[in-house]
Amino acid sequence: MNHMNRRRFMQLAGIGALGAAATTALAGCGGGGSGATAVRFAWWGDTVRQQKYTEALELFARQNPGVEVRPEFADYDAFQERITVQTAGRDVPDVFWIPSPQVMSYQDAGLYRRLDDIGSLDLSAFSPEQIASYEIDGELNTLPRSVLTAAVRYNQTFLDEAGAQLPADDARSWTWDGLSEFLIDYTRDAPEGRKGIHYNAQVDLCFEAWLRQHGQDLWTADGRMGFDAAALAGWFEWWEVLRRAGAATSLSEQEGAQPEWPVVGDKVLMTFGNSNHIADEAPMFPDYEFGLRPVPVLPDAAGGHRFGYLSRLAVYAGIDDDALEAAGRLVHFTINDPALLPIVGLSVGAPANPRVLQEAYAVANEDEKKMLAVVEQEMAEEQKPRYEAPAGSGTWRTIMARGVEEVALERASVADAAARVIADIDRELGQAS
Amino acid sequence: MTQDTLARPAAPAPAVAPGRRRTPSFRRQGRAAHVFLLPFLLGLVLVTAVPLLASLYLSFTDYDLIHDPDPVGLENFGRMVQDERFWASVGVTLRYVLVSVPLQLAFALLLAVVLDKGMRGLALYRSAFYLPSLLGSSVAVAILWRQLFGHEGLVNGVLGWFGVEGQSWLQNPDTALSTLVVLNVWTFGSPMIIFLAGLRQIPEELYEAARVDGAGRVRQFRSVTAPLLTPIVFFNLVLQTIGAFQAFTQAHIISGGQGGPLDSTLFYTLYLYQQGFNSFNMGYASAMAWVLLLVIGVVTAGHFLLARYWVFYGDER
Repeated sequence: MNHMNRRRFMQLAGIGALGAAATTALAGCGGGGSGATAVRFAWWGDTVRQQKYTEALELFARQNPGVEVRPEFADYDAFQERITVQTAGRDVPDVFWIPSPQVMSYQDAGLYRRLDDIGSLDLSAFSPEQIASYEIDGELNTLPRSVLTAAVRYNQTFLDEAGAQLPADDARSWTWDGLSEFLIDYTRDAPEGRKGIHYNAQVDLCFEAWLRQHGQDLWTADGRMGFDAAALAGWFEWWEVLRRAGAATSLSEQEGAQPEWPVVGDKVLMTFGNSNHIADEAPMFPDYEFGLRPVPVLPDAAGGHRFGYLSRLAVYAGIDDDALEAAGRLVHFTINDPALLPIVGLSVGAPANPRVLQEAYAVANEDEKKMLAVVEQEMAEEQKPRYEAPAGSGTWRTIMARGVEEVALERASVADAAARVIADIDRELGQAS
Repeated sequence: MTQDTLARPAAPAPAVAPGRRRTPSFRRQGRAAHVFLLPFLLGLVLVTAVPLLASLYLSFTDYDLIHDPDPVGLENFGRMVQDERFWASVGVTLRYVLVSVPLQLAFALLLAVVLDKGMRGLALYRSAFYLPSLLGSSVAVAILWRQLFGHEGLVNGVLGWFGVEGQSWLQNPDTALSTLVVLNVWTFGSPMIIFLAGLRQIPEELYEAARVDGAGRVRQFRSVTAPLLTPIVFFNLVLQTIGAFQAFTQAHIISGGQGGPLDSTLFYTLYLYQQGFNSFNMGYASAMAWVLLLVIGVVTAGHFLLARYWVFYGDER
């Protein structure tokens, strides 16, 4: 009896396994029943962005009934880890956003497919000069989905309460020294516990703006560091003047060198960051009105220092030929279709497509309009070329944060900390090369 | 004729009838056994053995996950010697192991002894004390820790009642690691349960005999409980030491993955992770993983070697 039971069990198990295998195989056909072409799309963000883009992809699916988008979403750090592991396994998503420190690493790994021969991808909105500026190593293999600029966000409500006004937004008044003096003055009379600014010396776009005004760069065309210890020490010192004067929050008050906005948002008048951050961060404090400006400028700033960071996306070089047309449609939808904006908003920055940028004003809220205006103001100025982060630079932010900690916790002098940061970044780049 | 009474008796031959193995029924049972073992064996080979061997190979290569591994011999191991952050992570991990493991075991033993005595609501207390172990080193607990030890956290709130203005315990390089030690001690539930089980195994007659001899509670603990509990202490010590060497989640969450401030919470595993998945030095990270495995093996072997001097198994003379 037992013998029969076991045999019966094994037969059933075998049938079950065959059934499961058949089901899996059918599922693996990628909607084979509907005949749709599957495209894997990878992006990053928080839960809100995940939901918004999922909704946008549903719209895309309605517009393109023959295409099935398979989303691959993750937090920013997890995204980088996952796509790197996928690269190791040659299992990269068909369309993917590119994290800023990895643009050249992925180029080096041959992940990008050229984009100017995909019939379903319309590039007519971009001028030949713009297209040329997007090329990497002479090939158009990535496209900007948005533009970010370095920006100063301030709490207008706090200013009004104090009866204070920011220095005028002109080249003579809106300077680094002028802003520093203003913040120290503001903090002197500010209500208990409120400071002028939070200590945010490792914020990359603003640091890059500082460097470019000093005639230096974050990275050079040949993939090296574009700045020296003196420029970095000057940057650290600007923040230290504020901290020593009590105008910037301590690392203790802001819980670390990389503060979270919800922790400091109602304690400081001002913050440095990316222009797009206002879209997500202003609504966290709905009782306050926020304003946005470009970063201050040195009186003798180097020509062409203005810049915008292009947040890019790409199509995987190993994409199946059958999926290429569908991937082109998805990229087209992402960068060219104004219908995307009302759904996803502008949290990723100002649209890079000039036509979509103008249409964005119609759907932007008040905070987003401020962001669009700052980006347009910055991008209208003369700009010298900007170079992407080279391979091996992925940890430069971590190194920078450690330097900031050394200075702000008074464990090292500004000069020593700057020298150590330079040496550490240089070593990382050397190892990668 | 003398007989060596210490020699182990020869194992008796299996009571299997000759020719039994060759019966069709036996072969069918053998096949069925292999079928049932197959999922485990596949898992062992594919999920454990193959990656383990792959990482051993990668530890001798320069591998960034993107390009093919490039053999570099012992270069990764040599690089560790000159890597300041590697040694910083070793220092942090050793301090953590040496402080948190004894503290956790002492706390767990103390609670187990208290709970071993009959008291009202004992089951409730046991469950409550075990709860932190279930949460363990989870993300939720790490975030809770930030709320407790942050600049405006509960600890500083209490200190404020006494006029003490506290700084963020997590952002001070001198105190950040201590908060992680406290977090580890707080998850004392698992060793406590094991201690409780061990305490229940000690025969009551021994305590009665000790009391008849006039031993007080302290003497009973010193002369009866402690010696008979040493195998359990040893077991917990080995497990918790291995776990402490591998500590990762708490520091990763509390320091935002950086190991800061100023590398004061840069656990070995966190630095290994940074090298593997932030810097994409997977060859170096693999080498670090093997060094950690070796160190844990040596420390565990040391525990076993020293155990003969202090662990009492009850049947020894």
